[in-house]
Amino acid sequence: MNLENSRIIDMYKTMLRIRKFEEKAMNLFAEGKIPGFVHLYIGEEAVATGVTANLNTNDYITSTHRGHGHIIAKGGDLKYMMAELFGKATGYCKGKGGSMHIADATRGILGANGIVGAGQNIAVGAGLSAKYKGTGQVCACFFGDGSTNQGTFHESLNLASIWKLPVVFICENNMYGISMSQSRHQAIQDISDRAVAYNIPGVTVDGNDVFAVYEAANEAVKRARAMQGPTLIECKTYRHRGHFEGDPAIYKPEEEQKEWLAKDPIKRLESFIVENKIQTVDEINEINEEIKREILDAVEFAENSPEPAIDSVVEDIYTDIVEEVNLV
Amino acid sequence: MISIGIIANPASGKDIRRIVSHATVIDNYEKVNIVERIILGAQGCGVDEVYIMADTFQIGNRVIDNLIASKELKANIKLIDIKLNGNVSDTINTAKIMEDMKIGCIVALGGDGTNRAIAKSIDKTPLISISTGTNNVYPDMMEGTAAGMAAAVVAANKFDICHTYLRDKRIEVFRNGIFTDIALIDAVICKDLYVGSKAIWNVEDIIKVIVSRAHPASIGFSSLIGCMMTIKESDDYGASVDLNCLGKTVIVPIAAGIMKKVNTCNLTRLNLNEEYYYKAAGRGIIAVDGEREVPFKEGDEFIFKITRNGPYHVDVKKTLEIAQENGFFIISGEEVY
Amino acid sequence: MRRMTYAEAIRDAMRIKMKEDPDVFILGEDVGKFGGCFGVTGTLYDEFGEDRVRDTPISESAIVGCAVGAAATGLRPIAELMFIDFVTVGMDQLINQAAKMRYMFGGKITVPMVVRLPVGAGFQAAAQHSQSLEAWLTHVPGLKVVYPSTPQDAFGLMLSSIEDDNPVAFIEHKMLYGVSGDVDDEVKKIPLGAADIKREGKDVTVIATGKMVHEALAAAEELAKEGLEVEVVDPRTLYPLDKKTIFDSIRKTNKAVVVTEEIKRGGYAGEISAMISEEIFDSLDAPVVRLGALNAPIPFSTKLEQYMIPNSGDIIKGIKKLV
Repeated sequence: MNLENSRIIDMYKTMLRIRKFEEKAMNLFAEGKIPGFVHLYIGEEAVATGVTANLNTNDYITSTHRGHGHIIAKGGDLKYMMAELFGKATGYCKGKGGSMHIADATRGILGANGIVGAGQNIAVGAGLSAKYKGTGQVCACFFGDGSTNQGTFHESLNLASIWKLPVVFICENNMYGISMSQSRHQAIQDISDRAVAYNIPGVTVDGNDVFAVYEAANEAVKRARAMQGPTLIECKTYRHRGHFEGDPAIYKPEEEQKEWLAKDPIKRLESFIVENKIQTVDEINEINEEIKREILDAVEFAENSPEPAIDSVVEDIYTDIVEEVNLV
Repeated sequence: MISIGIIANPASGKDIRRIVSHATVIDNYEKVNIVERIILGAQGCGVDEVYIMADTFQIGNRVIDNLIASKELKANIKLIDIKLNGNVSDTINTAKIMEDMKIGCIVALGGDGTNRAIAKSIDKTPLISISTGTNNVYPDMMEGTAAGMAAAVVAANKFDICHTYLRDKRIEVFRNGIFTDIALIDAVICKDLYVGSKAIWNVEDIIKVIVSRAHPASIGFSSLIGCMMTIKESDDYGASVDLNCLGKTVIVPIAAGIMKKVNTCNLTRLNLNEEYYYKAAGRGIIAVDGEREVPFKEGDEFIFKITRNGPYHVDVKKTLEIAQENGFFIISGEEVY
Repeated sequence: MRRMTYAEAIRDAMRIKMKEDPDVFILGEDVGKFGGCFGVTGTLYDEFGEDRVRDTPISESAIVGCAVGAAATGLRPIAELMFIDFVTVGMDQLINQAAKMRYMFGGKITVPMVVRLPVGAGFQAAAQHSQSLEAWLTHVPGLKVVYPSTPQDAFGLMLSSIEDDNPVAFIEHKMLYGVSGDVDDEVKKIPLGAADIKREGKDVTVIATGKMVHEALAAAEELAKEGLEVEVVDPRTLYPLDKKTIFDSIRKTNKAVVVTEEIKRGGYAGEISAMISEEIFDSLDAPVVRLGALNAPIPFSTKLEQYMIPNSGDIIKGIKKLV
């Protein structure tokens, strides 16, 4: 399987966009400009990128609390994302969702999700919808290793399997469920082992290699579109940061951290691009500058955006009811 | 002291072939079970030292715990203590240590890739290969107990069994004059640009296939030649064929459950130790034993050479037959008619 | 006018909407050929086939979650849970997902779904199959909570619930499934948020839900013999709540009894009582009387179960506190 150079560059840009967006978010959080919880995806960019490179705009994804990467990869607008992180009225959710709840229905993004494992069932529903209506859409369902210990994992894989739904389950095994290492939170090493229990294909790939992820997802998406049922893809990767910003991650051995930093997916793709003369170092630098500008524009947009109006606090709860806004 | 080594690859049986062919996941607990049965078979036949490769799933430690808990452990089990990298280098490094320790026999659990990695490191140590994947040509599907018994027979070194065999062939790959890699069964030159998920299954992008052996029953790329001619392990030659060119169209089992029609030409016999030259006309990758490993660029020059530098590969059934004929399993008493 | 049971009325409303709109479908445990745990889906499987009346494994979380995902992507699922007691298993999907999605996502996603939730004691199903947990759901912004007491209301409210663009918890009392009543021939929707005066009276207002509506009516009938005119108000939807009808009635009678089958502590009756006290205190001659089940799990024994759930006799006693 081969990819045109332009697509490889697109994937590189996506990964870089995620990285730079999050590095910016990290700094803004440290400066106190972004409130709340921020869970960063740094280190896992190849997964979202390799998967969504196989999706169409109208395909669905469900995401997690660590959702920025999925949303950017699926085409989310950085300006509206950044504004949402700032809690501004112009944000994706009008400042009512924040980092953990960004959705964009026009791009099939069914939302980041604050409940671990919750997206799996929603993905099954989206898959059912696509199959029911015969639209040919698929749903890529992202979740972490920690969520595979939730009941939803079992219920949703079982349901998707018996109904042969066009869902691709993408497990981002970043080796930690919050602070608990995978070896402590489950008795298996390869989450793909669990596919056997649902009679679906399960595969483990190097989640820091965008090509490996791309290839596996490509086959799984083909299967899904052909109504052959779901696939479980485990992507072995690593969360560079703590569970959330502010978590010093003292539970992560230094040695381990060092090893994984050396396997950084972006650096790997960058060397591939340069070694294979797809782009020169100068061109790569130019891309970096371009992405940096995009991020700065997004921050500027967010900073210059208005705070939400007080009345909006009771809007959008229902389609047809606006609640009382006075406290007393 | 009769010793054997066990190398069980925790990563085998989980690659992309689970999606692209009709293969299933082999879970690691089954590997633990197989290793236990190898040990029980081996210690029952006199093995007192068992060395196991350390791995990230801790197959070795789990085996020790289980056999101690079931009070069945008699042999002395040790893990080969290396710094784990969680990739194929663990296998290569462990096999090298086992070779240096002059262990009597290595039993490998894995696929063609695992055996290839071991073959890189061993010279004199005999190898028993149990398949824990799909699509394998080199290792055989077999019961671990029998493998353990055969390993004991080989390690006991009473009947000079392994030296009754020829060494296996291997394909040595030299890039720009430098020894780069080996394949036990097949080396495939393809136009793929990146290693990606490693496994190779797309016939359309393949330029050339070089094999050390070939048989229609061997699923995978060697079947491209195997469906036209049989090359046994004992034959002192291999072959190569070009793909996607005008010539014979063959129907071949390219992967488990996948039959494909492929256009081939220039089927050529390659004699042992003969150098076969290939110059890359563009970018691509060489897949060895089904895994994309050696990327190349335009102008890279390759030499492929089939040699008999492969492992001493133990035929488990034959070994057990020889042992039986020599009364290996009779502990005491005389036959009563 | 047609005569049908409460269960048949729910089924007929679902049938009508399924015929009208191909996006409406049913999913739940044993809703297919089996016809539903209480026979509510009945023959719908034969009429619409397995794609639209989908049997699911026993996976409440997946039933509700799958409905959420389907609703968010353009379908109109009707999910059936066998007992409201099992909503605990699917609670995250209902509370954190269905109810919150629209708000969290700034109004950009709608979740038009109905979850059918059979409640109620009365047939010795004990503590895990008899509860009335509607207060849990009314507490959550984003959910609408509907609770019919008659076949006519069940029919009209189900039509509206399926059409509603928000997640609707449709509460059904198990003991009412077999109760027959008249249903208009005409397909008439009952808007969510419209209470109904089940019996007019000038002396005291009883606000009752579900099966308690029938107990209240029996109490009113009994007290009528003594010349006491009891007005029985059925909110029919707990959220949105038709405060106006309730308040207008109390402004007329100046006395209020609120009766629900829930455990009294933390029940929705408390919310209604508080609203009355807060907003029309001046119209009251006496404090609101609140009636609910004892603060105990539902027991198995017929005798104990009957004792702990309010009945018409208890309602009469409650009313008598005020007159």
